[in-house]
Amino acid sequence: MKVLVDSALCVGHGRCYVLGPEVFREDERGRCWIDSHQVPRELEDQARLGEANCPENAIRLETQ
Amino acid sequence: MTVENPNPETGEINLVDREFAAAPQPVYRRVLSRCPIARSSFGAGPVLSRYEDVIWALRHPEIFSSEMEVQMALGTERPMIPQQIDPPAQTRYRKILDPRFSRRRMAELIPQLRSQANALIDRFIDAGECEFDGAFAIPLPCTAFLSLMGLPQKDLDLFLELKNGIIRPQVDPGDVEGATRVRSTSGKRIYAYFEAVIDERAAQPRDDMIGYLLGAEIDGNKLSHTEILDICFLLLLAGLDTVTSTLGCNIAYLAANPEHRRRLVADPTLIPGAVEELLRWETPVTCVPRVIKQDLTLHDVAIKKGEVVTLLLGASNLDESEFVDPERIDFERKRNRHIAFGAGAHRCLGSHLARMELEVALEEWHRRIPEYRIKPGETPRYSPGIREVQYLPLVWNTQR
Repeated sequence: MKVLVDSALCVGHGRCYVLGPEVFREDERGRCWIDSHQVPRELEDQARLGEANCPENAIRLETQ
Repeated sequence: MTVENPNPETGEINLVDREFAAAPQPVYRRVLSRCPIARSSFGAGPVLSRYEDVIWALRHPEIFSSEMEVQMALGTERPMIPQQIDPPAQTRYRKILDPRFSRRRMAELIPQLRSQANALIDRFIDAGECEFDGAFAIPLPCTAFLSLMGLPQKDLDLFLELKNGIIRPQVDPGDVEGATRVRSTSGKRIYAYFEAVIDERAAQPRDDMIGYLLGAEIDGNKLSHTEILDICFLLLLAGLDTVTSTLGCNIAYLAANPEHRRRLVADPTLIPGAVEELLRWETPVTCVPRVIKQDLTLHDVAIKKGEVVTLLLGASNLDESEFVDPERIDFERKRNRHIAFGAGAHRCLGSHLARMELEVALEEWHRRIPEYRIKPGETPRYSPGIREVQYLPLVWNTQR
C-alpha cells in the first residue's frame, strides 16, 4: 500500500497522527508529514484510519 | 401551538430557539432532506446544511469571508485575530499561533488539568448532586485557559464575569441596546486587562503565551501590542464557552443514555472515540457565519455579494451522504470526518486543546462518578447558538 498526503489541503486537524501514529507524523505546526510513501502491511490499518478521518480529504491510499 | 422547524410554509429555519438548542437533530434531518438552502428566520440570510456544500464554503474563504462588519456586536473594537480575518493575512498569524496550540504542546497541560478536574470534583462529590454547568463545565475550561496563558488562577472569577458580559450579557430579553452597552463595557475591561499584562511582560519577559507573542515575528516584524491584544481577545472568547458547552452536551447525553455511559466506564480507552462521536452528534457550535464576497448561484438559489450566510455545521455532521448511518451513535465509528471544529483555513485553532480538555474531563469524571443521572423531575436547559447546557442538575449515589 502507498500513502500520499496533499500538504496543500492539510490544515492540521491531526486526526491522522492520532489514529495512525506510526504512519503519520506531526510537524511543528501540527500538520501531517510522512517519512515514507510505502506502508508496511502491519500498518495498513493505521493508514486506512488516517484516510477515513481526514476532514480535508488530504490523504490518498493506493493499493498495489 | 408550535410550528414545525423549519417552517414548512415559509421554509424559514429558526436557529435561535431553545427547543432547537435542546434537540437540534430532528431539525437538521428535515432541513437536509427538504431544503439545501434554507432561510434563517433571524436576519433571513441563506443557510447551507449539506456536508458537501458546507465544506466547500469553508475551503473557499475568498468567497465565504470571515471579515464580518459586525464585530461591534461582540464588544470588540477591531477584528479578532485570526478568526475574523481572511488568508493570506490570516495564514501569517496562524503560522505563529499553530505551534503554540499543537497537540504535542497541549499534552504538556494534561497533568495540571487532571488535578484541576479532581479539585473541582472534590468540592461536590460527597453531596451526591451538582448543577454540572456551574460546578464543573464552566470553571474547568477557564482554569485551563489561565494555565495556557500563564495567568494567575486567582483571576478565574474575573474572567468568567468578563466573558459572560460579552457572550451572555444579563439584560432583559430583547433589550438590544442594553446588551450592546454591557458588551462594550466588558470589551473595554478585557482590552484593559490584557493591555496591563502585555506591558508587564514587555518590561519583564516571561516564557508564557503573551511573552511568546511579544517575541514572535511576521516577515521580520514584531507583532504590535494591538495585534497581541486582538489575539488575546479571541483566545478568551473562543476558548471558554465552546468547551463548557461541549462538556455539558456530552454529560447530558451520557446521563440520559446509560448503556453508552457504562461502556465508557468499563473501557476508558473508548473515550477519545466517544469525544469525536459526540462532537459529531451534538455539534455544540451549531453554525458559523460567513459574508459573501461575490454573487453566486447554488442549488438554483442566487446568493448576493454582501449577504451573510450561515453554515450549519451540526446538520452537515448528520448528512447521510457523508456519514454511514448518521443517526447511530458509535464510539468506534471507523470513518468520521466531522466538521465540529470547522475545516479549511479557519479550522479551530484550539481543537487540540479542546480535545485534550474533553478527554481528561470525561476520564476523571467517570473514574470518580461512574453512575449518575439527570435529577428526577428536572429538565436540562440549553442555550441557542453555542449549545451551553446552562442548567444540568445531576444526582448520584454517594454510598461507595
